[in-house]
Amino acid sequence: MFKMLKPNPVILHKTKPQVELEIQACIGCNECLLACPALAEPITIDVLNRETIAGPISASVERFTHACYQCGACVSPCPVGLHRDAMMMWLKVRLLKDPKEVHMER
Amino acid sequence: MKVTSKKRYPWLITVLTTLGIIILALVTLLIYTRISNDRSPDGTVGLAYAIAGLFFMGLATAGYTLSRRSRKRTVGALNAALNWHICFGIIALFMLFLHSFGNFELVSGTYALFGLVALVISGVIGRILDHFVPRLIAHEVNIALTEQGDDRIESVTRTLQDITTYHKEQVHSFKSQPDLLVAEKDMQAATAHLVSRDGTALPTSWDLAYISLAETPQEIERDAEHYRLVPDRKSSLSDPSALIPGLQEHMAELHTVQQALQRERLYRAIIRYWRVFHVCLSLLTIGLTLWHLEFAATIMFPIYFH
Repeated sequence: MFKMLKPNPVILHKTKPQVELEIQACIGCNECLLACPALAEPITIDVLNRETIAGPISASVERFTHACYQCGACVSPCPVGLHRDAMMMWLKVRLLKDPKEVHMER
Repeated sequence: MKVTSKKRYPWLITVLTTLGIIILALVTLLIYTRISNDRSPDGTVGLAYAIAGLFFMGLATAGYTLSRRSRKRTVGALNAALNWHICFGIIALFMLFLHSFGNFELVSGTYALFGLVALVISGVIGRILDHFVPRLIAHEVNIALTEQGDDRIESVTRTLQDITTYHKEQVHSFKSQPDLLVAEKDMQAATAHLVSRDGTALPTSWDLAYISLAETPQEIERDAEHYRLVPDRKSSLSDPSALIPGLQEHMAELHTVQQALQRERLYRAIIRYWRVFHVCLSLLTIGLTLWHLEFAATIMFPIYFH
């Protein structure tokens, strides 16, 4: 509980090339998804990584993207020090830029 | 794949549970007020509400904290724990409010209740912030990134550098070699008449005293309309960016992106520090509740164990 009183420094967003590099470095251990308090339904890390970079976004990933509130709980459990919150922010921006990209499971 | 209501509305079961328990508590209160006139917090039902409230308060605090620290987790378990945390927090507040029966004479109990009210309100506000602030952040990030997802500041800076380099080259082209040659020829012509006593030409003097202080014809007529090269204040040429087209627009864009970044930083800080505030408030409420329990114990023990 006291750990929460000393939050990590505020990290701003990352650019698309940086997000792509992070996704390439992801080892798919699922730790970030396990630590996420916003994720309500089972999503695999492969699907999330694939849909983060490009292509259509499924309804479940879209719901997760809207639910993500950038708390940063996913950052500290990552064994390779990646920023899943920055990747989710990129997904949010993608949905903002082109909402019609979402078409799966609808 | 069909999306079930459980998947789409994972909070539905917790909302229904909260409503169910609150209705149950209200029904028991109604029945109790019909059969008894004892409405003191330390009465039988008052104590039952206090115990139930404490139980739910403990569940709200410990359940979510333990779930966060648990090693054996499944995907979505923490979200469910968060929903139950909210559910139990609201039930605890309601139960402890019923426990008071509207008596706010005891200072420790009143402070503990107010602490819990503030804690629940801060939690509700936190959830609202969690819903809206990330959307605002996404808008700011959308401003700070280009269509291709690159850093807009970097892109604008590169464009500005290109503009500056281009115009520098343009300006340099005016100070080219032929101009210098013309100037040199003029200088030679001006000093051609300067000869020594033995007839040899004198070199160009470095002495400033050789420069005539008398005004040249151009200087005399400098105020004339056709010599007036310096733009007046009202002229569009007086604008520093007038000679570098596109500079002002890019500078304004840079300013907009910088403001967007500042807002993003602020929104992220709001999310994080509101959580810290909620944790601090929970510690304060636990402290006030323990104080009230200690105070209540000093009253209750002599009655029940005499």
